[in-house]
Amino acid sequence: MSKKLKIIGTPVPKHDAKMRTTGEAIYGHDIKLPNMLYGAILRTQHPHAEFIIDVSEAKKLPGVVCIITADDVDTNHIGYKRDHPILKKNEANCTRDEIAAVAAETKEIAQEALKLIKVKYKVKKGLYNPHDALKKNVPQINKFSSGKFENKNIAEKFFYEHGNLEQEKKNSVAIVKRKFTLPRMTHACMATSNITAHYTKTNGKLLLYSSTQVPFLYQRDMAHALKMNPSDIRIIQPIIGGGFGSKLDMHPFEPICALLSIKTGKPVQILYSREEEFIASPTRQPMEIELTAGVDKNGNFTFREIEIIKDNGAYTSWGATTPFVIMQAFSSLYKIKACRFNALAVYTNNVFAGSFRGYGNPQATFALERVIDLLADEIGMDKAEIRLRNANTKGEITGQGLHYDTCGHKECLQTVIKKLKVEKKKVEKNNRFKRGIGYASMLHVGGGAKIYRSDGCGTTLKIDPYGFCTIITGSNEIGQGSETVLAMIAAEELGIELSKIKVINTDTDVKPWDVGVHASRTSFVAGNSLLGAINILKEKLNNKAAKLLNEKTKSFTYENGNIISPSNQQIALDKVVREMHFTEPNELAIASYFYEPSSKFQDKDFKGNVSGTYAFASQSISVEVDTYTGNVQVLDIHVAQDVGKVLNPLLLDGQIHGGILQGVGYALTEELIFKDGELLNPNFHNYKMLTAADVPNIHFYPVETNDKQGPYGAKGVGEAPLIPTAAAIANAVCNALDIEIVELPITPERVLKAIAEKKNNKKNK
Amino acid sequence: MEFEIESPKNITELCKTIKSYRSKSFRFGAGYTDLLMELKKHTPRNLTVINLAQLKDVSFSSIRSTTKNIQIGAMITASKLVTDTRIEQLFPVLQQAAHNLASTQIRQVATLGGNMCTASPSGDLICAAMALQASCEIMNDDKKIHNLSIQDFFIGVRKTALKKNEFLFAINIPRNKKRTATLHSGFIKIGTRKSMECSVVSLAFHLQIDKTGKIIDAGIAIGASAPTVKFAQSACQFLIGKKINSFSEKEKEEFANKVLSYASPISDIRATAWYRKEVLFNISKGVLE
Ligand SMILES: Cc1cc2nc3c(=O)[nH]c(=O)nc-3n(C[C@H](O)[C@H](O)[C@H](O)COP(=O)(O)OP(=O)(O)OC[C@H]3O[C@@H](n4cnc5c(N)ncnc54)[C@H](O)[C@@H]3O)c2cc1C
Repeated sequence: MSKKLKIIGTPVPKHDAKMRTTGEAIYGHDIKLPNMLYGAILRTQHPHAEFIIDVSEAKKLPGVVCIITADDVDTNHIGYKRDHPILKKNEANCTRDEIAAVAAETKEIAQEALKLIKVKYKVKKGLYNPHDALKKNVPQINKFSSGKFENKNIAEKFFYEHGNLEQEKKNSVAIVKRKFTLPRMTHACMATSNITAHYTKTNGKLLLYSSTQVPFLYQRDMAHALKMNPSDIRIIQPIIGGGFGSKLDMHPFEPICALLSIKTGKPVQILYSREEEFIASPTRQPMEIELTAGVDKNGNFTFREIEIIKDNGAYTSWGATTPFVIMQAFSSLYKIKACRFNALAVYTNNVFAGSFRGYGNPQATFALERVIDLLADEIGMDKAEIRLRNANTKGEITGQGLHYDTCGHKECLQTVIKKLKVEKKKVEKNNRFKRGIGYASMLHVGGGAKIYRSDGCGTTLKIDPYGFCTIITGSNEIGQGSETVLAMIAAEELGIELSKIKVINTDTDVKPWDVGVHASRTSFVAGNSLLGAINILKEKLNNKAAKLLNEKTKSFTYENGNIISPSNQQIALDKVVREMHFTEPNELAIASYFYEPSSKFQDKDFKGNVSGTYAFASQSISVEVDTYTGNVQVLDIHVAQDVGKVLNPLLLDGQIHGGILQGVGYALTEELIFKDGELLNPNFHNYKMLTAADVPNIHFYPVETNDKQGPYGAKGVGEAPLIPTAAAIANAVCNALDIEIVELPITPERVLKAIAEKKNNKKNK
Repeated sequence: MEFEIESPKNITELCKTIKSYRSKSFRFGAGYTDLLMELKKHTPRNLTVINLAQLKDVSFSSIRSTTKNIQIGAMITASKLVTDTRIEQLFPVLQQAAHNLASTQIRQVATLGGNMCTASPSGDLICAAMALQASCEIMNDDKKIHNLSIQDFFIGVRKTALKKNEFLFAINIPRNKKRTATLHSGFIKIGTRKSMECSVVSLAFHLQIDKTGKIIDAGIAIGASAPTVKFAQSACQFLIGKKINSFSEKEKEEFANKVLSYASPISDIRATAWYRKEVLFNISKGVLE
């Protein structure tokens, strides 16, 4: 873009920041409708059991309006594989399982009623380890699965390959093979899950106040679940207190709430407690990744061979499709001649995971970058050098068919390598504290991801007779700041003050279609969509302005609320709009546009250019490890990220800092701990999310590659900062202690164990 | 969570209230940071909470100096312990323990008395007070006070020696032996994050050292390593009379092993017994480094 930008690239604060921090913002929890009832869900007491349920006593409790069990509803199964009954009948298969639901006049009565529901359980031995679930003579865990795979407990399978693997093995001078284990992490959104459903009996319409990230897919899923017409369901998104991927799937509590409203004809609200949020909201995919990788005598990567076993849990969510992203990292991060990839999602009696910022990529990157360090050690090459040598480059088309029209990988690497000057503070004489450094990079989609028939987004744009602009966008705001960025684009292009721009994005009855917030796509896709609508609208405005100013030209500039001709004649924008409306041929200053990225649906072999563009990032991290306690202190994190173009440095910083802290938590502290399918730490006391006191120094260096596909050259940024963090921290800890880490999180206990093992190994040698 | 609440305004009223509830179920409430968590899990029927937070008596919520002791009222909050200059100068171990407790918000309300009377094996203030060899001033509903050594105050996991009609009034910490003594005093809290952490293991130490570098008094206590916080008597004895700067590696390990002999930790979701012991040994050694 050669044009000088006025607003894009400036640190405009989030337009809703004040509202959110002062408490003015209306979240789902704040909604109160007349005659509203309160819903509550009874979950199984045992992860795996047969049960019979008796609600008769509970029904008698004054104030209870409705109780439903599986027997009372006629619904379709939900979930990515439609293998998930909304209310479970006779058998529970994981600790989250919903077996009854109550609607009552108060929250307290609803809770009291749950206690009065009598359930007789016949506890069964569950399968909590995917390896056990794959054994021959075990029961089928999910009775509703398609059963199309060779083993009844396989939920989903992925295979991918490119290049000549056997040949590349021969070309390798060193081959490393390791198995990595990745934990369950939870999103820990500030706002707990919530929904308010309002069914109107007289017209059969269902209104849902829901914090989904994908309202149009959700509308369809809901309609399928309830056997309704999608268009009879209207989704309104109240302000959302955190998404991070957790709201990509529709979860059982949502159709349950709708059912309670349909049965009672009254509005019903379900709000999770924090404990319920820990137990019943989705998690990051736990998995085992076995990676074998090679390097040739010059330090060029040769091949990667990957075997993944994912714990699918009892039902299949979008989370099962994370290999789609995982394989991109393995096939296309750094230049790699051959790759073979196998992934299985295996049913167990554990809770099911969902989508989570990074979508499998943090797991993949951890394995991949750990093995790169080991390969470097094998051939005695510097860890920075081996990465630079193999870094991706502009113009590259990867084995999987990803087109890198722009690519900041090398620049990112060079930047963070240079910036990390470890002041190798003199190691104390007792040798207690050890310092180390680690590098890692990442590749992620940066221009949407075509996983649905369309990866598009619609915009309707209007300017009113007072010169205010309304952007009606299909995309939505889940806290990431998309409303602000869209308003900035409109302000930039139309010369309208930011305070005169409104973004309408919360109502499926009003807004045009969009696939939803995921894959770091919103600024890219919704931004391009808005730019398309602006172009159309400007054409109309230009025509009218030309007429009013008696100008031949059709090329006007828009500044300070005025439309200005090349000969410097000008007319107020609002006046042009009024003239459009009120003089012949009387037309509206309104335009609609649907943007579809140039990306392609991948073929059955998972090959194809799946995104409009790709984002790259590198991090270098220094740590200090206390060898007495095993505590890892992250000192400095240097982040260079190919963002295409900085649209708003303030919002970008927010994404970087937030993402990195999630990454540090993933690396060091956060883990949902299960025993036989039961969650042992459903609270912030023992689920160790980091606090403000734990924040390391974060240094961010944006790399601008100006991708011609992106709005002003921008790429998606949201997921990237989290992806390489755990890998770089693990590499730094291994560097500090000369140990190996194959499991996250790197808790103090795991560090001390590794140190003790190292000592033992030395003794035994 | 439903209960009645009584808020006496002074100690006389408090004693009267306790008497009138003698045959009923009641609990004291101070800062409520432990109590509410407990009642949320389970509230007995017909429970009354006798609220100590409205008591106006200064003695209950002040820090006073006597010739032998520093006396700290049970209603002193953790944040008061952090900011009080006497505590900072005389008993760094207590200041550090208070500073590391929970978070800024919780420290504003969490009291010393509440920490002591919860009697958690991981109570940070308990651990510091034990290293300081404090004693407990216990008052009954006749306003009678008796003293109990801190080690006798704790009789099991979450169990104190308090009778139903008694409450903790204050703790007395003996003044340091010599004004001129230098202190090696501190609180080591082991956990995964820097705040909002419940000790996985804790170690409180308070060593008094004379001009020649000789240790003239020592108090060592460990938390989260046994059913109650423990005073490591033999480890203290080992130190007294020795020069602080002259410990050999072997002696440091001997000391650490002595501390460790008081530990009988359990494995739970926060750490295994193995880790607790390993760390306790390491940080004990670290005290002498
Ligand atoms: C998020 C969180 C983090 C925490 N972190 C820590 C930590 O890092 N370290 C730590 O040690 N603790 C921690 N705690 C526990 C708690 O904050 C402390 O134990 C605190 O000192 C309790 O004081 P309180 O005034 O709130 O007690 P309360 O909750 O009011 O009372 C606790 C118990 O003591 C009894 N009681 C109170 N005062 C008296 C009295 N004078 N006489 C007789 N009985 C009495 C009550 O009946 C009750 O049984 C944490 C708690 C929370 C919620």
